[in-house]
Amino acid sequence: MSLTIHARNLKRHYGSNRAVDGIDLEIPAGRIVGLIGPNGAGKTTALKAILGLTGFEGELEVLGRKPNKDRDELMEDVCFIADVAVLPRWARVWQVIEMTERLHPRFSRERCMHYLQNTKVKQNAKVKTLSKGMVVQLHLALVMAIDAKLLVLDEPTLGLDILFRKRFYSNLLNEYFDEERTILITTHQVEEVEHILTDLMFIKDGKLVLNATMDAVHERYREVMVKPDHVDEARALNPIHERVLFGRHIFLFDGGDTARLKEIGELHRPSVADLFVALMGEEYENRSLAEEAA
Amino acid sequence: MSMRMTNNLWTLMRRELWESPGAFKWAPITILGLTLFFLVFGLILGSRFDNEMAFTLDAIRQFADVPADQKRLFVTGALFSVSTLFFQVLLLVLVFYLSSCLYDERKDRSILFWKSLPVSDSMTVASKILTAILLAPAMYLAVVIVTQLIVLLIATVYGWMAGINPFTAFWLPASLPHLWAVMALGLLIQGLWLLPVYAWLVFCSSWAPRVPILVAVAVPAVISLLQHAWSLLSSFDMPQLNVGLIILKRLGSGILPSNVGWRVDSNGNEIDLTDVEFSEQLFMSFSNSLDFLFRPGMWIGIGIALVLLAGSVWFRRRATDT
Repeated sequence: MSLTIHARNLKRHYGSNRAVDGIDLEIPAGRIVGLIGPNGAGKTTALKAILGLTGFEGELEVLGRKPNKDRDELMEDVCFIADVAVLPRWARVWQVIEMTERLHPRFSRERCMHYLQNTKVKQNAKVKTLSKGMVVQLHLALVMAIDAKLLVLDEPTLGLDILFRKRFYSNLLNEYFDEERTILITTHQVEEVEHILTDLMFIKDGKLVLNATMDAVHERYREVMVKPDHVDEARALNPIHERVLFGRHIFLFDGGDTARLKEIGELHRPSVADLFVALMGEEYENRSLAEEAA
Repeated sequence: MSMRMTNNLWTLMRRELWESPGAFKWAPITILGLTLFFLVFGLILGSRFDNEMAFTLDAIRQFADVPADQKRLFVTGALFSVSTLFFQVLLLVLVFYLSSCLYDERKDRSILFWKSLPVSDSMTVASKILTAILLAPAMYLAVVIVTQLIVLLIATVYGWMAGINPFTAFWLPASLPHLWAVMALGLLIQGLWLLPVYAWLVFCSSWAPRVPILVAVAVPAVISLLQHAWSLLSSFDMPQLNVGLIILKRLGSGILPSNVGWRVDSNGNEIDLTDVEFSEQLFMSFSNSLDFLFRPGMWIGIGIALVLLAGSVWFRRRATDT
């Protein structure tokens, strides 16, 4: 199977700040990849390099093309929603659709209209008069009407309410995704995407901390809710993380003997959010606690 | 250029009209409205003082009898002067349009949407500059033509009232196809003549962190001030070539229909008007405009413009929302 994204030692420095610091990626077609990381970890920079929006060092090929040189050709096969509300605010809805139709050879007006059918987006409305959610609906309709091989979504649902977010991902999964396409998502709202992901990547300080399929992640990481009298025993098994919830100690293990773990407590599949906290280390945990407090 | 590229370019240029309808559509239409308002206002005011319009109609009858070449001079001169305001506003509009054309998309982050379309950066920059030298002048010219036709129609009504043949008195001397062709050619050559100025504005809009028009004015202003200071200090003299003056001279000598054979000498402070006569040659000849094509300054300017536009493409390629 051909690779959608191939990167070797991808780097991007802003002065002394290493936004992306040597990333290796091999993403085949037909995957939904979540790129998860704290603010400033280099997610957006990595995506921008992949989309040809920024320069970089190292090797990078997207669909066999060099993104920094051939962005315009690459965009025939790649779509992205960089953020909410980047559609031109002065334009009317029909103008945005017509421009996309005329400029994009793989755009289908019928499909776009089909997606817009059940929304409140009016053809003659100006983008600046639409609500944030409607702008996202319009943008998603545009993007899903393009027959692309790679779709990149950078915080696509930021600031939207839960109904929109749910519908957004269910549309994406049910009406758009197939084994020919690849979707690359970054988001903070991990719990909403974890059920649709096939691959998971954690990025921290410009480096990939985790890069595995969801199946591998589920096989490798186990969460154990340990009985109070087994806590010391659990600690001796080298857990990668420990937290206390309602007086119960919850340990996260990387690998380990299943039978042994079952003896000391209940085995669970860790959520991506818990895994994230465990792997990103105390430092991030403390910072996010401080942020919440503030 | 392939079919697809031509189509894309045209779509991008239409996009510019959609984005700035005020500058390219409503501004000329407003001038048309104002022109007609003052014309009609003047005519009504005139008829108040002129009992039963006897004086006006008499003047028209007399005009119908003057020699053909004088009729031509008068009618084409009048129609040309109708167009002047349009083309001066056009220049002003273009200065503002070009200095924001690659800046606004960065400011409102819509550049991320434009860059998600399979359109190259050079195509985008080309669409902006072609809008300035082709599409916008064409829009203004179209409105000018409508204005001139309305003015001629009003004259026709007066001609009928005076009992003369409006066709031979007004329409024939107007030599409309010739007039319009001269204006179209003049606009085209003016676009080329001002290309370095336009390209400079596009260039500034492609990288300026904020208020690109201020940057575009401030940079040459500061350079020419430094130039002056330096040559005053070093040789107690004015500089031979001054960036600021060169740009101002170019802007001043580009506006239609005054791009006649005015020669400004190299000191920039003497304008020789002695050979300028008010004749048809002033505005009805193609050679005045074509003359610009044979000036070295034209080609030096186009060369500079191409370098600046290449620079704009370079910056556009690297530009994102931050």
